[in-house]
Amino acid sequence: MTKTDVRELALGILLEVTEQREFCHMALGNVLEKYQYLEKQERAFLSRLTHGTLERLLELDYIINRFSKVKTGKMKPVIRNILRLSVYQLKYMDSVPDAAVCNEAVKLARKKGFSGLAGFVNGVLRSIARGLGDVEYPKETREKEYLSVCYSMPEWIVEKWLEEYGRQTAESMLKAFFLGEDTTIRVHRDRISQEELKERLEKEGVEVRPVEGFPGALTIRRYDTLNRIKAFKEGLFSVQDVSSMLAVEAAEVKEGSFCLDVCASPGGKALYLAEKLKGTGLVEARDLTDYKLKFIEENIARGGWKNVRCHRQDARVSDETLVEQADVVLADLPCSGLGVLGKKPDIRYRASRESLAKLAGLQREILGVVWRYVRPGGVLIYSTCTINREENQENAAWFLDTFPFEAEPLPGIFRGFTDEESIRRGMCQLLPGRLGNDGFFIAKFRRKRENHGS
Amino acid sequence: MAIRNVRTLGDEVLGKKAREVKEMTPRLRQLIDDMFETMYEYQGVGLAAPQVGILRQIVVIDTEEDSPIVMVNPRILEQSGSQSGNEGCLSVPGKAGVVTRPNYVKAEAYDENMERFEIEATDLLARAICHEVDHLDGIMYVDKVEGDLFDVEQEEEEE
Repeated sequence: MTKTDVRELALGILLEVTEQREFCHMALGNVLEKYQYLEKQERAFLSRLTHGTLERLLELDYIINRFSKVKTGKMKPVIRNILRLSVYQLKYMDSVPDAAVCNEAVKLARKKGFSGLAGFVNGVLRSIARGLGDVEYPKETREKEYLSVCYSMPEWIVEKWLEEYGRQTAESMLKAFFLGEDTTIRVHRDRISQEELKERLEKEGVEVRPVEGFPGALTIRRYDTLNRIKAFKEGLFSVQDVSSMLAVEAAEVKEGSFCLDVCASPGGKALYLAEKLKGTGLVEARDLTDYKLKFIEENIARGGWKNVRCHRQDARVSDETLVEQADVVLADLPCSGLGVLGKKPDIRYRASRESLAKLAGLQREILGVVWRYVRPGGVLIYSTCTINREENQENAAWFLDTFPFEAEPLPGIFRGFTDEESIRRGMCQLLPGRLGNDGFFIAKFRRKRENHGS
Repeated sequence: MAIRNVRTLGDEVLGKKAREVKEMTPRLRQLIDDMFETMYEYQGVGLAAPQVGILRQIVVIDTEEDSPIVMVNPRILEQSGSQSGNEGCLSVPGKAGVVTRPNYVKAEAYDENMERFEIEATDLLARAICHEVDHLDGIMYVDKVEGDLFDVEQEEEEE
């Protein structure tokens, strides 16, 4: 008989993500989907091992390179990734004995056709297991390097945040990315009360806590997969970060409105808008490809909403039929994602200064098209899940300068999440951390009633 | 010691019943050693003699959670509970599928010195014992699989 080796699956995912630039959540999702019948503990081990190895990648490489003459950059991809996931277990998974980590790594190296390097893997791992307590980290005075290794964040991002936010805030942000173990959900309060859902989830063995300052939001943990939670299949809640819910709250949508979400996939915000409309009005959820629309359609089907429809449209291309039609345009645009590094640990290794600048340009291009869909007196919400002045504050300022809009103060629910100054100015940068939310930017603009020559 | 050739699905020997072992012989001892080596080489957790083409009632098991076990003429005495999980087989390389097995078994068997012993097992070991004892009756897990078999990655890289 043979059994599925979870570490081998983890290695496969790491190789896809680190060598072929697949997205971590996609690669892991595919494997979990394919191996539906792995035990709950095995699934949890696999998720933790792949996610953890990726979020600590730079630190793991740093440790490996202090013990190995051959540096990680020169190793064969299979060997490099076997070492990474093994060192992660040595350092961060106390439940796995050191000897087991080494043995499994050696076996895996052999199985992957590297019998000749099994001794090398064994040697490096055994010396790391012995010397892990005495690893010398970069000196704390060398801020950039120190923070980069400790929090496994590329130096250029550390540098950027040090410049923009200072040492203390930058470090608390870096720390916060490691806390995001919980999943935030939004109760579909048109179907079930928060208390009732909490009770039902707890009966299924899920740990549930309310989110302070946000009625209808809960955090859940200790569940296997969402699809095995009955209340999820029945469409009684959806997964959504508090910051995404706030983006919808910012719109203060009124019943009967026509809302347009120009980059909607996977549809969470559009569906929240639909819920807020209480069955009236219409939400049109648009996105670039059929593939992306499929996620929205799945979510609509799960909830059974009638006042939402999907439409495939490149947001960069103007749709003349919609000019001045929408009461609310939600522009939650493609961004560098530096606010969601806790959930998507691989984004940081993909991003670069150049890609950030390019995205800021793309956002301007889209904003330059979609503002026209807002009727005079209507609202445009601009949001991103990143922490980058160029994409956020600078683009918002550019928008106000260029188009006939005014900033509008944010509604009261923001009080628990940001400062008065931001609320008054109608734009806020949520930093990851304190409240377990993502790093997120939200700006609210209202179109002027008289159209000054644009 | 030698690594033996593992027969794969379609080989008719896998569908036949294995004969009882009446006495231990040097040849059978050699077979047991080879079965362990073959199992370890291919990263199995269990192997039955018919899988290397020998129709005798011998199985070897090493789940790594317990010590290695040889079972000669094994019989399952009691079983209870159930576990559903995926299972693979060295005779069906690169595949796995879901099989429901008892979660507890009690079995009797003889060791390599033909001393009788009893063993109680749960979880993976119980699953492995059932899987290997089935081989001695010519039964493969693919006959019991629920749903489809699926591929298990097996890409090999050249050094």
